[in-house]
Amino acid sequence: MIKKRPSQIQGERPFRVVTIGALALVVSFFAIILVALAAYTDTKTLFSILLSQEILFAIRLTLFTATVSTILAMIFAIPAAYAISHARFPGKDIIDTILDVPIVLSPVALGAALLVFFNTSLGSAIEGGLMRFVFELPGIVLAQFTVVIALAIRLLKSTFDGIDQRYEQVGRTLGYTKGQVFMRITLPLAKNGVIAAGILTWARAVGEFGATVTVAGATKMKTETLPVAIFLNLATAEVDKAVAVIFILVAVATGALVILRKVTGKRRFE
Amino acid sequence: MISIKELSVKIGNFSLHNINLDISEGEYFVVVGPTAAGKTIILESIAGLQHFRKGEIWIGGKNVTSLPPEQRQIGYVPQDYALFPFLNVRDNITFGLRRLGNKKHENSERVESLAHILGIHHLLERDVRKLSGGEKQRVAIARALAISPKVLLLDEPMGSLDVRTAKYLRLELKRYHEELGITTIHVTHNLIEAEEMAGRMAILHMGQIEQVGRPDEVFFYPKSPFVADFIGTPNILDCDYCNDLGHGLVEAVCGGVPIILPHHDEPVRKLALLPRDVYVTTRTPPGPGINRFKGTVMEIVPFSSLMKLTIRVGEINLLAELPQDIFEEMDIKVGQEVHLILKLRSLRVY
Repeated sequence: MIKKRPSQIQGERPFRVVTIGALALVVSFFAIILVALAAYTDTKTLFSILLSQEILFAIRLTLFTATVSTILAMIFAIPAAYAISHARFPGKDIIDTILDVPIVLSPVALGAALLVFFNTSLGSAIEGGLMRFVFELPGIVLAQFTVVIALAIRLLKSTFDGIDQRYEQVGRTLGYTKGQVFMRITLPLAKNGVIAAGILTWARAVGEFGATVTVAGATKMKTETLPVAIFLNLATAEVDKAVAVIFILVAVATGALVILRKVTGKRRFE
Repeated sequence: MISIKELSVKIGNFSLHNINLDISEGEYFVVVGPTAAGKTIILESIAGLQHFRKGEIWIGGKNVTSLPPEQRQIGYVPQDYALFPFLNVRDNITFGLRRLGNKKHENSERVESLAHILGIHHLLERDVRKLSGGEKQRVAIARALAISPKVLLLDEPMGSLDVRTAKYLRLELKRYHEELGITTIHVTHNLIEAEEMAGRMAILHMGQIEQVGRPDEVFFYPKSPFVADFIGTPNILDCDYCNDLGHGLVEAVCGGVPIILPHHDEPVRKLALLPRDVYVTTRTPPGPGINRFKGTVMEIVPFSSLMKLTIRVGEINLLAELPQDIFEEMDIKVGQEVHLILKLRSLRVY
């Protein structure tokens, strides 16, 4: 007698139809949007827009600010995530919860909070004496940093959580201090996780709009990142330009996710 | 060599109470006990990996209580070995040596010499993730020994190995210890492993030491009901007389039962045998009839996952243990006649 394949087993078919049907609908939804975008413009127009001064500026500015904010975020997030993951201190659970707030909070709210901060005496002192942030390029980096740092910490924490402390303990007995163990054992063990966190953080920074537009404003050829360029061009009814920028962001996001898949798809340590 | 003085540790609901141990230079000391007895915590305390509220740890006449792990000169082999997966076997072993600032060729010589002793020379360039359990264990020991520690701490070193590999590696571990003479503390839940390896052993139960002594002392003179229960009270047989059989064998007659033993200079007065070393079968066993007897089942008492059988042989009662499933398969009843085999190597004479 021929055995039934799993999908033919009684009662399983309706479930399969519902779940795979939902998946097919979601994929179709995004495919239709992309096709509609592609149909809106032609290749010639797209390339001429992409090579325009404004868009090239937006690409350069976005790549630069996102890279700087990601580097800064990782510099702070790696030790902070390690502390949340491994250290024992009072109020740890509360801090852990607070760190989740920027992830779920609207970026506009974060940007507005930064703006309000720069109106306080301490904020004004920083603006006046140290560095200007409001409506300036450093403001973009600060806005992106504020939005992505919590995400970076959360991603890195889960990486450090997955590392067996026995490795570090062995490292200590082999004569290394806590700091040396972190550099020589923990970070190599966390390598894939750190790279993945870096890529996701960077991709998130590239797409950041709400906080950036609130802190740094939306000034053409000054604080015009790619998401800001979409906003500005839609506002002036230059839809072709907006579509071109959307394609750039889609390409950047796809590229980042392909690299991420390659990194995380590699065999993990233990 | 190592002194643990009044060590008390509290972790959540678990406490280690007032542990006192003195371990001599070159000794192979085993801490044995059931799961969650606190064995690993003792090792971690010695290594400086565990904070404790009360107590002192002395190594080589020096109070190391406040020293961090990196200054204690400890070789630590954790359960599952924790080999660094991003390094190959050679680099794992060299890891601790790099910190010492030795010349490259000195490190290389040290690795080669340890690889030779531990029989892992052929593995040196291999990826540690592709090693078998036994190979991993030897690499982890080599890594721990590379820095010439004063003490070697082994946490359940046979825990993840199959029975055959574990038995082979127990012998190997003994050989390394004899060759290197390093003071070793070995933690295990396995009584057979403890008995086979230990110069002395400590029985730990719920954070307290129940008894410390040589394996034979612990086995035949358990000091607490827990120890007696944990090791299983042995059968003690009083011997009436001895006959020299030649060929290095003697026959000790205990309660009318003739038991063959390797020759001893002193006359055999008493024999001891653990219940688990009395084999029971309902069929006539094949092979020569040495130390094989017929007996009658007098009593059957269930005990945890075991069945304890009291079997009358000649004028003596022998206690035997059978796993529940084997007992049920044999369908043994009180009054039934069974065959017994006394494991020659497990007979203890005194």
